Amino acid sequence: MPSQASSSLLRYTGHEHFRNRIVLSILSGKPVRIDKIRSDDKDPGLRDYEASLLRLIEKVTNGTIIEISYTGTSILLKPGIISGGSITHDCPLSRSVGYFLEPLLSIAPFSKKPFNLTLRGITTDDKDLSVDLIRTVSLPHLQLFGVSDGLELKIKRRGSAPLGGGEVQFLCPIIKQAKTINFVSAGKIKRIRGIAHAVRVSPQFSNRMIEAARSVLNRYIPDIYLYSDVYRGDDSGKSPGFALSLLAESTTSAIHCSESVSSPGISPEDIALQAARSLLNEVSRGGCVDRKHQNLVLIMMVLGSEDVGRCRMGELSPRSIQLLRDIRDFFGTSFKIAPSDPATPDSSELLLSCYGTGYINANRTLA
Amino acid sequence: MDERERPQKPHRAAKEGTSAKNKGHDKGFNEKAFAFKSGRRADRQARRTVEKDQTRLHVPLVNRTPDDEPPPVIVAVVGPPGVGKTTLIKSLVRRFTKHTLSEVKGPITVVSGKKRRLTFIECNNDLNSMIDIGKIADLVLLMIDGSFGFEMETFEFINVLQAHGFPKVIGILTHLDLIKKFSTQRETKKALKKRFWTEIYQGAKLFYLSGVLNGRYPDTEIQNLSRFVSVMKFRPLVFRNSHPYLLADRIQDLTPREQVRNEPKCDRTITLYGYLRGTNLKESTKVHVPGAGDLVIKSVSLLADPCPLPASESEKKRMRKLSEKNKLIHAPMSDVGGVMYDKDAVYINVPGSFTRRQDGEGGDDDDVVQGEGEQMVMDLQDLKSTLADGIANKEIRLLGSSSAPLTVGKSRHSLGGADDSGSESESDEGEGEGSALGSEDDEGEEDGEEGSDEDDQMEEDEDEDKDGDEEMNVPGPSRGRSSVRRHARSTRGLPADTAGISGDIEYADSDSDLGDLDGMRQDFDRDGVDLDDEENSGEEDDDEAPRWKSDLATKALESFKQNTKRRRDLVKLIYASDLTPEQIAAGAELGDGGDAKGAHGDGDEDDFFRPKGAVKTSLAEEVLDQTKEDVAVDALAKWEDEALLDSIRHLFITGSGGGDEDGAQPDGEGYEDEEGDGFEDLEADADADAGPSTSQSTEEARAAALAAKKEALKRKFDEQYDDPDEEGAKMDFYDEKKDEMARQLQLNREEFDGVDAETRALVEGYRPGSYVRIELADVPCELVDNFDPAYPIIVGGLLPAEERFGFVQVRIKRHRWHSRTLKTNDPLIFSLGWRRFQSIPIYSLDDHSIRMRMLKYTPEHMHCFATFYGPVTLPNTGFCALSTLGLDLAPFRIAATGVVLDIDRTSVIVKKLKLTGVPYKIYKNTAFVKEMFNSALEVTKFEGATIRTVSGIRGQIKKALSKPDGAFRATFEDKVLMSDIIFLRAWYSIQPRKFYNPVTSLLLANKTEWTGMRLTGQVRREQGIKTPLDVNSTYKAVERPSRRFNPLRVPRKLSAALPYASKPKLMKPQKKPTYLQKRAVVMEPEEKRAITIMQQMKALRKDQVSRRKEKKAESKAARLKKLAKDEEKKSEKKKDEKKDIMRKIGQKAKFEAEGGSRKRRKT
Repeated sequence: MPSQASSSLLRYTGHEHFRNRIVLSILSGKPVRIDKIRSDDKDPGLRDYEASLLRLIEKVTNGTIIEISYTGTSILLKPGIISGGSITHDCPLSRSVGYFLEPLLSIAPFSKKPFNLTLRGITTDDKDLSVDLIRTVSLPHLQLFGVSDGLELKIKRRGSAPLGGGEVQFLCPIIKQAKTINFVSAGKIKRIRGIAHAVRVSPQFSNRMIEAARSVLNRYIPDIYLYSDVYRGDDSGKSPGFALSLLAESTTSAIHCSESVSSPGISPEDIALQAARSLLNEVSRGGCVDRKHQNLVLIMMVLGSEDVGRCRMGELSPRSIQLLRDIRDFFGTSFKIAPSDPATPDSSELLLSCYGTGYINANRTLA
Repeated sequence: MDERERPQKPHRAAKEGTSAKNKGHDKGFNEKAFAFKSGRRADRQARRTVEKDQTRLHVPLVNRTPDDEPPPVIVAVVGPPGVGKTTLIKSLVRRFTKHTLSEVKGPITVVSGKKRRLTFIECNNDLNSMIDIGKIADLVLLMIDGSFGFEMETFEFINVLQAHGFPKVIGILTHLDLIKKFSTQRETKKALKKRFWTEIYQGAKLFYLSGVLNGRYPDTEIQNLSRFVSVMKFRPLVFRNSHPYLLADRIQDLTPREQVRNEPKCDRTITLYGYLRGTNLKESTKVHVPGAGDLVIKSVSLLADPCPLPASESEKKRMRKLSEKNKLIHAPMSDVGGVMYDKDAVYINVPGSFTRRQDGEGGDDDDVVQGEGEQMVMDLQDLKSTLADGIANKEIRLLGSSSAPLTVGKSRHSLGGADDSGSESESDEGEGEGSALGSEDDEGEEDGEEGSDEDDQMEEDEDEDKDGDEEMNVPGPSRGRSSVRRHARSTRGLPADTAGISGDIEYADSDSDLGDLDGMRQDFDRDGVDLDDEENSGEEDDDEAPRWKSDLATKALESFKQNTKRRRDLVKLIYASDLTPEQIAAGAELGDGGDAKGAHGDGDEDDFFRPKGAVKTSLAEEVLDQTKEDVAVDALAKWEDEALLDSIRHLFITGSGGGDEDGAQPDGEGYEDEEGDGFEDLEADADADAGPSTSQSTEEARAAALAAKKEALKRKFDEQYDDPDEEGAKMDFYDEKKDEMARQLQLNREEFDGVDAETRALVEGYRPGSYVRIELADVPCELVDNFDPAYPIIVGGLLPAEERFGFVQVRIKRHRWHSRTLKTNDPLIFSLGWRRFQSIPIYSLDDHSIRMRMLKYTPEHMHCFATFYGPVTLPNTGFCALSTLGLDLAPFRIAATGVVLDIDRTSVIVKKLKLTGVPYKIYKNTAFVKEMFNSALEVTKFEGATIRTVSGIRGQIKKALSKPDGAFRATFEDKVLMSDIIFLRAWYSIQPRKFYNPVTSLLLANKTEWTGMRLTGQVRREQGIKTPLDVNSTYKAVERPSRRFNPLRVPRKLSAALPYASKPKLMKPQKKPTYLQKRAVVMEPEEKRAITIMQQMKALRKDQVSRRKEKKAESKAARLKKLAKDEEKKSEKKKDEKKDIMRKIGQKAKFEAEGGSRKRRKT
């Protein structure tokens, strides 16, 4: 009843970790209030992309009440149920499609109807995961938890910053409960894949990127395939741009990834070298999941059945650390974090284990 | 001679050896005897075995109850009053523990075997209790009065069980000795068994208890029953396997007395004690107490098991039987062992007078001999000094390492902000980390304040004993609390609002002065385990110290060690420090930033109100919520270094080194061959890596490494060359799943094995099987005031989703035995999940998969949907609905049963709405229609909608007309008549009313008298209001005037102009008789005669008929007369009967008015 709702209200301040808190609130069903959103800024309040994200959340749920204060510096979110279905959303040009897609990855499997989400906007930028990475890395991470049949991201059109014009379609099935993972063996890198894309520039750019990346990576393994993905005409969006995304897959299907995106005045070779080196950097960090996907894995681990889930990770990113704290607020679950192999003190790999909350998709319909 | 007379020695069969083995099978095993005669038979046999094998299979379910220390099995004894429930429990308890109970109140836990404990609970005849018990019982002993037969309550209970997952049921027939005739008894048994089997399942176990001897059932029969109970296996039930729950065996009010005195209706803080069941309970879990409502857990703490299983492993193996020492009983509400716990007091019965015993005299055996309470009082006598002495001798050290103790006076001064509000500091990690002064200060202060709680516990307790009004918290002597417990620190750091804390109050001798502290007392002795290590070990190494205090020092040392030897502990950094995530990620240590302990303390509640991002001010450039981290180009520049590039080679399958990992070595070879010179330095590099390490390591290490390597190689070899069919293929789906579950359970057990209890509770929650104390805040005072041990208190944990409310769609079927149909918008009581609540359902049916169409009433013998507003429950949860909970005359109170299908925030139910209109102008296929709408705006809303006439002509709304408001032009497929009614079929969506009324039966003084929302009719009846009657709604005889058609008149002029064929043919009626009428007939004599004869015969016949008729009428009248007589007789008899019934009803009413109990209802 109303009194209960107010007692379980969680309060946060600041605009940081906005998406994680929204996601956790939607999943746990606890209302959340975020205050002082850029209250000291000269341009206070929610940014357009944050407001757009809230609108998207309203579209994918039923019964969600979002109250935004007059100045936009505080919001109150009373979550409803996740309804899913067929939704179209136009993303603002200030952030890429990835910004909107990332939080939905952990929400989508628990909806009432399978997700069929079309997002329009910028597909690749340097802040959020590009659609290539989401397709090739995030979705396999989601598959670890039993979300597999029909999970798909279709890149209909590409759109680079600043004008965008891209379009992706995200299809996600619903599940009853997330599988508990026990992913502790990182294995060894057995293959490297990559996608080099170039829109509204010379198609040679992607080949040049591939060449340059190979010059760094060829020394390790021969199983390297870097695809050149060129979109033409209408499908290539409104702005020129190119990028290279790389992923390294291990024998136990652990994936690490990196990406770098074109910016004015940087040659494709430099982009490629940057991507390749950050991939090596990522691989050297170790762990079974990619650093950028720690958040996704942590959330899904908490949502698992009431069993112990374990996962080996490299150093935790600050976002993950804050997420761990937020998870405790929303779900009351704490993780056990131990060095993965105590024998070697210099290794920074961690073994995170938690007891799942036994989250069952209550939105699923039986009839 | 002698030899012949002596009888020959009888043959002794060999007891061992080959001859003994061959006994019975002299010629060995005869294979032919069991061979199949025909192939077909063999085939059939094989099929049969396969089929039998399939029946064994059930859907694999994870059992979350731990195998090693399972919680006691809840055995509920259910049955109508007077059937012998209490006698049965007494008999069983005596059978298991040799203990004769004087009264049976609340749950009674006994140890029944080496691995099993049982909790007996008696269920009273209230439907609320039956529902609650049906939700938690593992085994139900369903008692049936053999001399009376089944009663409605029994059937109601069975239906409740069916809706909430069927636990095991054993039927018990009693009062069979009342049936004197043996054959009748046998018949009764047979009939009851048949009925029982149809209700439960064919072959369900039914026991017969013959009679009562010495207030107990016969020992042999009880022994048989107890054997069944103690070996019964249980299959996990889905709902209980996903929710934590607890059956409280003890309740205690922690609200300060003073507050209660000032404000008797204030919300209370209570603690409930019991064994956890189901899944792990986390402190953050919301709980529902059926009958009281949703409550918030304030804290959970682990207690020592009051009724533990036989402790040591060796003992378990060695003993076949349970030793007397281990036959424990725990029944806090039922006055066992001289201690009885009430809601706000503990009563200790001490038989006769007792004397103080010498130490060492009793030994361990005393625990068994003495009652618990007696032992407590004995402990109290172990007192050497008075309270004042204790305070005088007490030394307080500010820090664990400080050498000079503080004096009492000083410490008083140092406490600027003294906290007296029931909070106390938790020092579980304080000593180790050398943390801030503030918290230590608190500890010191408390020590002073509470008058050195540890060693003065005894005085206080003695006072309590005298007082009889306080909670006693001396743990049992042999049950030293072994684990560290957490406690939320709620108001730590708040400024003290009472300035009046002065020494003399604190140190007062009288209990009443310390009254406001009693809320804390419990917590102090808990904290004492690791709090007061120095003082206690220093001062209390007396011989007289009770055992529970003995090894405090060692425990404290252990916890200290645990804390210090940790290196950078991320768990603590993340969950218990103020450091920002960035600082932690950058590798900050605990001491760097905030005070770890302080942050931990308010982590529970104050966390939410602390600005998280406050550390980061806005002057820095904005940090975006972005996934990709900004790449520092210079950081990546290091990867230009060849050595660094080579250093991560081992992470790729082509690289060597770290061979113990699962990297695919054989694959690597292939790659090397292909690669060529790119990997020239591979071997050298590996050697270089390996070189120093091997040189450093000793022989042993090398041997170990070699062994490990060999092991890995062997494993690899096995994997590759072993026949995969041997294990993998032999496991079918079922076995595979079971294996997977077993592995996961194993992992669950092992993962947190080495972790200390505190972290474990944080990460994992409290495990089922542990005995815990749950503190609940803001409990309605009625729960405590109206507490009755005969009504079970259950704490049911809720999943995160279940705290919310929404529209619940269920599939529902009215129970066949329920006498009335259910009507939409009539309130109904649901028992769903843990909850019992009243809500207002709307029934609906799926109409051709297009819409959900509202139903006014539930259909007969058919499922339908119902939607109501209520708490979210997971789909696939069963429920039952009740029309009433009270003891009124409803013959069968279970109204419906069903299952949850869907949860939503809106509902899609529609009901039909017909708009009618009439044509006022008709053209060919066009008509102008009025009276359907009121305005042109409404018409525009419905433009294009299909309409229909009563005669079935279809049409469409075209456009609004300007003239009469709401009129419109419509086209039809044919010409409509002015007399036709035109209607538009529309669907109006309706939402169930947002009404949720929890059944708070436990809060009532009389628990059976709960009334929820009443039906309108009920309210009217009770208040004597007549049903308002709309004049337009009254039924009247339908008048249908016959239609009169005017004759067609053609004007003469027109008629004249018409052609002949079209002219109306008007003819006058004939006036003159016709020829046939006019002519005369002259008959022949022959004819005349014939006609005469015919006339005579007809006359005769006529006469005959009339006479017969007369006779019949006569007999009919006689019969009617007789019937009337019978009728009169009958009505006379009926009148008598009615009189009799009314007299009986009157008697009953009178009896009930005088406080009688409910009459039994026979089926």
